[in-house]
Amino acid sequence: MKTQQEYLIRYKDGNLYCELADIWIDPSKPVKKALITHAHFDHFTFGCEEYISTKETAILLKERVGENIKIKTYEFEEQFKINGINISFHPSGHILGSSQIRFIFAEEKWLISGDFKLQKDETCKQYEIVKTDYLISECTFGLPIFKWDESKKIANDISKWITNSPEKTSLLFCYSLGKAQRLLNEISQTNFKGNIYSHGSIHRMNNIYKKLGINIKDSIKIENKKKIDELKGSLILLPPSLSKGPYLKNFKNIQTAFASGWMSIRALRKRSGYDKGFPISDHADWDGILEVVKKSEAKNVFFHHGDSEALSKFLVEKELINVLFFGK
Amino acid sequence: MSLKNFSELFVDLDSSNSTNNKIEVLKNYFLSNDPIENSWAIYLLTGKSNKRFISGRYLKNLFSQIYEYPEWLIDTCYLKVGDSAEVITLLLKNKSTSRKKKLSNISLNELLSKTIPDLSKLNEEEKNFKIKNIWETLPEDNHLIFNKILTGTFRVGVSIGLVTKSISKLTNIDEEIISHRLMGKFEPSIDSYEFLINKNINLQELNSKPFPFLLANTIEDKIFKHSINDFQFEWKYDGIRMQLIKRSGNVSLWTRGQELVNESFPELVEKMSHIKDDFVLDGELLLWNFKEQIAFDFSLLQKRINRKSPTRSIQKKYPIIFIAYDLLEINGRDIREIKLENRRIELEKYFSKWQIKTENKISDFFKICDLIFPKDWSDALTYKEKSRENNTEGLIIKKKTSVYSSGRKKGIWWKYKVDPMQLDAVLIYAKGGSGRRAGLYTDYSFALWKDQELIKFASAYSGLTNIEIKELDKWIRKNTIEKFGPVRSLKPEMVFEISFEKIQISKRHKSGIAVRFPRITKWRKDKKINDADSLENAYELMKKIS
Repeated sequence: MKTQQEYLIRYKDGNLYCELADIWIDPSKPVKKALITHAHFDHFTFGCEEYISTKETAILLKERVGENIKIKTYEFEEQFKINGINISFHPSGHILGSSQIRFIFAEEKWLISGDFKLQKDETCKQYEIVKTDYLISECTFGLPIFKWDESKKIANDISKWITNSPEKTSLLFCYSLGKAQRLLNEISQTNFKGNIYSHGSIHRMNNIYKKLGINIKDSIKIENKKKIDELKGSLILLPPSLSKGPYLKNFKNIQTAFASGWMSIRALRKRSGYDKGFPISDHADWDGILEVVKKSEAKNVFFHHGDSEALSKFLVEKELINVLFFGK
Repeated sequence: MSLKNFSELFVDLDSSNSTNNKIEVLKNYFLSNDPIENSWAIYLLTGKSNKRFISGRYLKNLFSQIYEYPEWLIDTCYLKVGDSAEVITLLLKNKSTSRKKKLSNISLNELLSKTIPDLSKLNEEEKNFKIKNIWETLPEDNHLIFNKILTGTFRVGVSIGLVTKSISKLTNIDEEIISHRLMGKFEPSIDSYEFLINKNINLQELNSKPFPFLLANTIEDKIFKHSINDFQFEWKYDGIRMQLIKRSGNVSLWTRGQELVNESFPELVEKMSHIKDDFVLDGELLLWNFKEQIAFDFSLLQKRINRKSPTRSIQKKYPIIFIAYDLLEINGRDIREIKLENRRIELEKYFSKWQIKTENKISDFFKICDLIFPKDWSDALTYKEKSRENNTEGLIIKKKTSVYSSGRKKGIWWKYKVDPMQLDAVLIYAKGGSGRRAGLYTDYSFALWKDQELIKFASAYSGLTNIEIKELDKWIRKNTIEKFGPVRSLKPEMVFEISFEKIQISKRHKSGIAVRFPRITKWRKDKKINDADSLENAYELMKKIS
């Protein structure tokens, strides 16, 4: 058994850190060298001396952090070396450019899953099974009550929700990077044929996706002074930050919904304050996490991002997998 | 025509915040389904039954047994979801591979009149097998309703008033009539639904049913601008609100919750039947201290409520009285449309007639409420403050010219409750909430000082805003000392103002006191724990009142 200090990757100041390479993974504070799994705000921070990521993530990062950051990019599967450690990015299926990161050192393999999902998503690369000895996995939805429906079914539910209230303007709140683009493509394949509008922040992301060769369905950028009648019966995609505030006063006769995995629970749905919740997630559900743990053939697993108590206990008792804990 | 339709109705109602929208959805449901299905739907929606066929615990154990799921895992899920029926529904989603191909589309009628009641005729093994079979043949979308009915936890944000409104809209019959037809027992059947929507209104058929109750609103400042002479003042008793009905010689006691409680109070039924007239009285049932002519505490009354057919000695030990506020019908004549002040005259007239003409002394079990005559509003306030002395909760103020309509109609009746008692207490335990509050720590226990020690004195879960709940939840997670199952003991740091209605000695509690309706009225972030009240303060409060 290794001690905490001997792990190739460990927790330091609440972040994943590889001492041998002196490199941080998705750090929450400025560091010298940061590997970034994907461009969601809770996975990077401003002010690092150097960033390393996939090409797509780099472009998204530049959009969010600034054009003049120092950033090195690699293709998926391309191996590169830092202090003798072999490192590579592999698709994680979460959003465009999102990656798992594998470390190989002295024949020992470590894999950081990043945020991932197994469900199909036309707007990003499909999750790739990577074999490893040590797995560090997220477990945002690490309970068996989470079981995702096919995104097609959710998209049809959304379509029905809009068309059942033709006199209303339907506001669908979703994360502006990843979820919005996925929904846009899914919804445009349903029976809903009305107008789809995107908030400026979403529209910007749509354009980057398009520039990177992803076929995102067109949507209209929402202008502040839209005539209310024009919006009747249409769908507007908005970031969740706008759901509670004066912004909604721009519209009349609205119905609201939130697209998130948490919406599968009635109590959370009710508490969220939205009229409706659509459970669709870019994270893996319980079965998804179990599948990744098993197929990775990892002998040792760590969990972070989420309440892992139940999942750990289940793996230890039922699947006889060794679950380890980082000291914080 | 099926559970499927009802499940869809549930989803539509559950995801709508607009009353008008809900009424529309209900109306459309009633239009497109059979009378028998509608009748069961009304039965479920109005909460006429929440009979529990099996417990949530049983459901969880059964699932654990069938699918070899560890119980602790189900319990962990429960903490997030807060509802056994929903947890199992979500977990069943994960089991969809084991489902049989042929999915059944069962009617609500068959499910509720046969399938589920039949379960109780089976032995445990057969019952479990049957439930498993239903799970595996029922379409996934119907699981939640099935599990909820099974565990008696079916609830959706629909009030009886909303159902009334939608049927009224559907049939073009006055809401008051629909509301009256919905009172009391409701046996789901084609007939009961047809009766509900029948356009021929025959008052005779409503004979066995109480009138819809008129309820008081909380006092509003604007009332003080009116002349005191426009209003009738009564004490607000803390008992069981009731309609006492005698029609065609038969007496029935109906609570506001629309329960017939003749069996619990047989002596009252018997004695009232000696009165010669027929009538409907609105009033309050109380446990009465005949010597001092004041009500006993509600907690004593509770001891009688749940006893069916109480013995003579129980009747003697806990003597009851019916205090009439209002006369609604006399010898078949509905007088709800005449003014309150005139109804009062009728009430007094008949009461004195009955006092003279009835063989038994009726004041042993029946009186009419005394009126109070404050000179002005500040005098009314003085009366209100005195209400604790005679064990009442404050005043009821009624507009003299008002007619007896139904529901919580604005601008007719007001309740003017005595201000609550308050103590500042320290938060020491928190427990996970259920239902809408699942996944958050929302059940709190509070303590008062005794020397250097904090002694628990009350638990409360209401009074904080959603934002405060979230904030406190975060704090609780960071400041936990120990976990005992779902309960966490906390670092004593947070002070809250706790309000309550009554305080009395209790041997069951370590603190030696018990309070009624404790609730949080303020998060005293400005106070340190040393500023919190002591048990001595509580005892003083108690002395001051009694």
